[in-house]
Amino acid sequence: MFWEMMKEEWRIHSTLFGNFAFSLFPLLILGLSFGFFLIYPYLVSVISVNDFWLLIHYLFLLFGVLVGGFGLLGKEFMNRRFGQESLVAYSSRSLPVSEWSIFLNFFFKDLLYYFLLWILPMFLGFVFANIFINAIVSPFLLLFSIFLSFMIGLSSSFILSSIYSYSSKLLIFILLIISLIFIINGINLDFLYMLPSYSLFINFSWTKLFYSLLIIGLLSFVSLFFLRVDYNPSNRRLNNWFNRFNKYLGNSFVSKDMLDLHRSEGGLGKIIFSFIFPLAIVWVLLFFFFSIFPAGNFFLVFSILLGIICSSMYSWLTEFEVFSSYEFLPVKTSDVMKSKLVSYSILNIVSIFILIIASIQSNSLNYLIHGFFALIVSSYYTLATTVYLTGLYPNVLIYNPKVMLSYLITSIPVPVLLISLSLIKPDLLLLSPIILIINYAILKLSLTKWDAWKKPGI
Amino acid sequence: MDKCVIELKSVSKSFGDLKAVDNFSLTVNKGELFGLLGPNGSGKTTTVKMLTGQIKPSKGEINVLGINVLKDPINVRELVGIIPELESPPSFLTGEEYLNFVASIRKIEHAESEIDDWFKFLEFGNERKVLCKDLSRGTRQKLMFAQAFLHEPAVAFIDEPLINLDPIMQFKIKSFLKDYTKKGNTVFMTTHVLEFAESICTSVGIIHHGKLLFTGSIKEIKDKKISLEKFFLEKVNK
Repeated sequence: MFWEMMKEEWRIHSTLFGNFAFSLFPLLILGLSFGFFLIYPYLVSVISVNDFWLLIHYLFLLFGVLVGGFGLLGKEFMNRRFGQESLVAYSSRSLPVSEWSIFLNFFFKDLLYYFLLWILPMFLGFVFANIFINAIVSPFLLLFSIFLSFMIGLSSSFILSSIYSYSSKLLIFILLIISLIFIINGINLDFLYMLPSYSLFINFSWTKLFYSLLIIGLLSFVSLFFLRVDYNPSNRRLNNWFNRFNKYLGNSFVSKDMLDLHRSEGGLGKIIFSFIFPLAIVWVLLFFFFSIFPAGNFFLVFSILLGIICSSMYSWLTEFEVFSSYEFLPVKTSDVMKSKLVSYSILNIVSIFILIIASIQSNSLNYLIHGFFALIVSSYYTLATTVYLTGLYPNVLIYNPKVMLSYLITSIPVPVLLISLSLIKPDLLLLSPIILIINYAILKLSLTKWDAWKKPGI
Repeated sequence: MDKCVIELKSVSKSFGDLKAVDNFSLTVNKGELFGLLGPNGSGKTTTVKMLTGQIKPSKGEINVLGINVLKDPINVRELVGIIPELESPPSFLTGEEYLNFVASIRKIEHAESEIDDWFKFLEFGNERKVLCKDLSRGTRQKLMFAQAFLHEPAVAFIDEPLINLDPIMQFKIKSFLKDYTKKGNTVFMTTHVLEFAESICTSVGIIHHGKLLFTGSIKEIKDKKISLEKFFLEKVNK
C-alpha cells in the first residue's frame, strides 16, 4: 500500500505538469539551497556561526510546523484526504487492512515525500556549496539534526492539531496557558538554544540524541492517542445557514467558503495551525534575529512577514475546491477565483487583529498605520503572484519547478522594497498603497489567464 | 416538434493517442428523449462533456439550442441542465443549502417553493438538512437530479440517470422524464440499462470505440421485431 500511495502522490502532481517537470523540483530546491549557502561567509560575518545554524534548525522546525499544521488536522485530515474516493487511502478501506494501518502508511508516505522533495535537496545544496565555503560541519550530522528539527516541528503541530480535533476548548486552554507564560516572563532567548536537535548538532552526545527522539516519540504517541479515526456519517440536521450568509455576503461562493471553513472542523484549527502557530515562531525568530542584528523596525518587518504568511490562507480556501464540481453549472474559473479573493479579504480580518496585538506587544502603536499598509500591500502582492502562477491549484502547481522559481523571483521584490522603505524612513511606507495598483493589475491578468487554461489531457 | 436543438457536426475528440470520439455527427430534435447507448469506455461521457462545454472537441462543431458550444459554453450551461456521471454535491453544504446555492448561481428568484417541491418529489424528508458528505450515494444522486431540473431547462443532459437509485425512485424518474419531454423539452441521456432506454427513449444512438454505429427511433427497432438488447449486441458485434 505504501508504494502504491507513493506512486499515486507522484501522479497527482505529475499529471498537471508532467513527470519530467516534477522530477526537476528537488533539483530546483537543491539549486536554491546551494545559492543560499554560498552567502554563508557573509552571513557569519554579521552573526555568529552558532546563531546561523540555530536559525537554520529553527527554519526546519518552522517548516515541520507548517507541514503538520496544514496536513494533519486529525479527523479533518482523515475525512478530507481519505474522503477522496479515487485515492488508494479510501479504496483500501474495502481491503482487510485496519484504518490505523492505512493512516500510518499515509503518514510515512507524506514524511518520505517531504524528505525527498525538500529536506534532502536542501541538505545536498549545502554539501555542494560547502566545496566553496568550507564550513566546518559534519554533513551527516547536519542532515540528521535538520531532519530531527523538522520532525519536532511536525510532531508539535501534530499533537496540537490532534488535541484540537479531540477538544478545541482543551487546546485553547493549553495555548492560553503557554501565551500567559510568555507574556509574564517575556521571551527568554536562551531558551531557544535548548532545541535538542540544534544542541545535538553543536555537540553530539547519545544523551541528546535520546532526548530528541524521546520528544518526537512522546509527541507522536500522544497525538496518535488523541487522533480519532472516524468515518461514520453524521445524521445531524442543520439549519439553512447558506441563505443567511448569502443574504449578507451577496456571493454564493463566498457563503459556501465560509460554511466550508466553519463546518470542516478545521475552521479555528486552520487559523491556529497554519497561521497563528507558525506566526508565533516567526515572531520569536525575528525577535532573536533583531537581538543579534538590531537594524530597522521590528514591528514593521513583522507586519511585512505577516502579509506574506497571510497568503497561505489562499491555500486553505482552494485546497479542497475542485473546479470540476462547477463545470456543469454556468460558472467560469474566474467567478470562483474572484470569490476566493473576497473570502481571502474576509479572512484577513484575523491578520489585522494580530497586527494590532503585535503593535501593542512591541510598543509600536505609533507605527500601526504604517504596519497596516505594509501588511495589506505585502499580503495582496504575495496573493496576486500566487493567484497568477497557480490559479485554483496552489498546493499542486507550486511543485512545478517553473512555477516555484517564478514565484520566488516575482514574490520577492515588493517585500524587499517594503523592508527597504522601513529601513530608510518608515514614513515612506505610507506611500506603499500605490503598489496595490500593481496587485490589482496582476489579479486581473490572472483571471483572464486562468479562464483560458485547460487541465492537461482535457 | 422537429426543430433541431442538439447538433454535432463531424465531431472528434482525442486524448493523446486515444481517439475517444471519432467523426461523430448527430441531431436531436425538440421533445425527443434521446438515449446514447454504448459499452464502458465507448465515448458516451466524453460526448456529454463536449455537448455541455466541459471539454473541447479536437475537431468539429457542436450547437445546442442554436448556440455554438465552443464559442459560448457558459450561455449553453445557463440554458441546459446537466447531471454529470461522477460529480457529487459539495461536502459541507446540506442538501437544502446546495439547491439554494445552485438557485443562487442560476439566479432563480423565489426558489424556495421549487426546492420544496423537489424534496417532496424525491422523498427527502429530514435528509434535506443533512450535510451532503453524510448522505448515501443514492440520495446524493437524487440531489444532483434536482439541481439539473431546478431552472426547468429546455434541454437536459443526463449521464447515467439511474445510478444508485432504488426501484421506486427509478420508476418516478422514468415517469418524470416522459412527462418532461411531452411538454416539449428535450433530454439527452447516456445509459447502460437497455431496458430502461427501451421503455422511455423516443430515439437512440449506439456508440462503440468512439464511432456512432446507429441512430434512429425506437419504433424503427421495434418494427424489426427485435429487442433493443439484441439489436445493440448485434451492432457492437457481440
